[in-house]
Amino acid sequence: MGPLIPNGIIGEGWDFVIAILIGIAFGFILEASGFSSSRNLAGVFYGYNFVVLRVFFTALIVAMVGLMYFDYFGWLDLSKIFILPTYLGPMIVGGIIMGFGFIIGGYCPGTSFTGIAIGKLDALFFTVGLYLGIMGFSLAFPLFEGFYNSGSMGNITLTELTGIPAPYFAMAFTVVALAAFWGTMFIEKRVRKNMKQYKF
Amino acid sequence: MNRNYIFLTILMLVLAGGTLFLSMNDEPDQIDPKVLLEEMIQPTRYVSTDQVAKMLIQGDPSLMLIDVRSEDDYSYYTLPGAVNIPLDSLLVNGNLSYLGMPGTKVVFVSNDDIKADQMWVLTKRLGYNSTYVLKGGINCWMQTIIEPQRPSDDAPAVDFETYTFRKGAQMYFTGAGSGESEATKVDVEVRRREKSNVAAGGC
Amino acid sequence: MHIHELNPWRTLIALSIFVVVLIIGFITKPKPLFTYEKTIAESVSALSLSEDYVYPWELEDIIANKPDSIVLFDIRNNFVFGQGHIPGSENLAASVLSREENIDRMKKLRDMGVTVVLVGEDELHANGPWMFYRQVGFNNVKLLLGGYNYYFEHKDDLYSTIDDDAYFKGIARFDYAEMAAPKDGAALNSDDMSKPVQVQRRQKSNVAAGGC
Repeated sequence: MGPLIPNGIIGEGWDFVIAILIGIAFGFILEASGFSSSRNLAGVFYGYNFVVLRVFFTALIVAMVGLMYFDYFGWLDLSKIFILPTYLGPMIVGGIIMGFGFIIGGYCPGTSFTGIAIGKLDALFFTVGLYLGIMGFSLAFPLFEGFYNSGSMGNITLTELTGIPAPYFAMAFTVVALAAFWGTMFIEKRVRKNMKQYKF
Repeated sequence: MNRNYIFLTILMLVLAGGTLFLSMNDEPDQIDPKVLLEEMIQPTRYVSTDQVAKMLIQGDPSLMLIDVRSEDDYSYYTLPGAVNIPLDSLLVNGNLSYLGMPGTKVVFVSNDDIKADQMWVLTKRLGYNSTYVLKGGINCWMQTIIEPQRPSDDAPAVDFETYTFRKGAQMYFTGAGSGESEATKVDVEVRRREKSNVAAGGC
Repeated sequence: MHIHELNPWRTLIALSIFVVVLIIGFITKPKPLFTYEKTIAESVSALSLSEDYVYPWELEDIIANKPDSIVLFDIRNNFVFGQGHIPGSENLAASVLSREENIDRMKKLRDMGVTVVLVGEDELHANGPWMFYRQVGFNNVKLLLGGYNYYFEHKDDLYSTIDDDAYFKGIARFDYAEMAAPKDGAALNSDDMSKPVQVQRRQKSNVAAGGC
């Protein structure tokens, strides 16, 4: 059956409508998970709140396992879905830069908008900075264009890279995620014991 | 609270473990057999030598001929511009990447049409669209394009149209002399419904 | 403490819905009418086996003795079938092959070990259905070489066709290169034809990237 648009079940013009609907749902989930608070988000780095890790890891393993079952049921053809191309070096550097921004600013791009939605001033400043950064990047782009496009590995998956079937990765990620849930729960308890005051 | 979390953990582990038992097929993508059967009984996959000759003469960039005979046969003679993918090496060396390009029509060619048709069935099963079979194959190509037969005098006008075209095509492909241009002087005054393309004949 | 950390019930409900969806998936998973029993590579190599075909001279025996172990299915349409057919053959037009009752019939014949011979206008006509049945595990399906047309031409003397090779396909009937050689010395398009073939290959798809 799926993916719906490549298989022509939904017309191509609908992709923006669907994007808006999914965007609304995504924003709602982010806000409902408490991601509009920069303290919640930055808590991961200081060890007192791991809600970000839990929410994203839950989303990851549920989606991953779910997609595999869906493929098996014939609801979704996994070989037809879009796979983001991998640029190894640039992605590592980009990840480090984003991580720093995340700790310093307390938001990631998506959550800063949920922060604005509930009227947080720091989120507003973060977003202004976000756009300034985008502009700066665009203007300076010719300087690092070569690096930006380097190390392309194409639309590759772990299964294609290693030859290990996807279910083994799913299993491994699930085990790691669940272990992380339990581990962080204890870290959280110990760290919070030493905190005098904790509010969101 | 902890009991719930333990339950959730176990449930998720079981679900993830279950994916190990799903039979993921490692075969390349294939279409549903039922769809294949329905496609198979349609005669729309055949193209005539006239149609192919016309496209070649017009230099149609969307046409791609694939010769499914052996390499030896291919190097001995093939249709202009044909690529060689022998039937038994369909799956090797990225031969499949010739297929499925958007906007191209792939026509399979063999000595006659059986091998080409077999190739068609296999590629169809792999999900490639806009593939066709040259009806009659190169044998028919020889009979119709390289050495076209003059239709008998009482044949319908459309046969003569085809013949004229084939004579021209013969010249194009072999550089043969035009011979007596007998076809042009035949003026059978029969009005016929215009066919959209040159009528397919013979094989 | 954030409210969600105190309320694993919501997670439990969400996960239960997830499990229910999966169960629905397992229940409604359509059982395919056919599955491919042969891989592509196996199908390719099976094409060279000669015992998957019925030769026209074998028909003589089949028509005369009408063995129970062989059924002739004529896949031409009803009208032409009515105009003439091989004695003892049954009409099963190609257009109705995919109907459920006919598929059941084929399955039943397979389980009984009956050989099914597909008869088309010519070999090409029955080639597609024959290959299809072979690929989905009907190893009892054979193909009549030459088809009905060849039978019709030789029906009075089928046995002598044992020496005939006119019904064999895949043979070059002409010396192509000689026949298509430029005539009258006018090598009009020889440049055109001998130039190396330039082909495009499909690129791996690289659609616009999305992001978070």
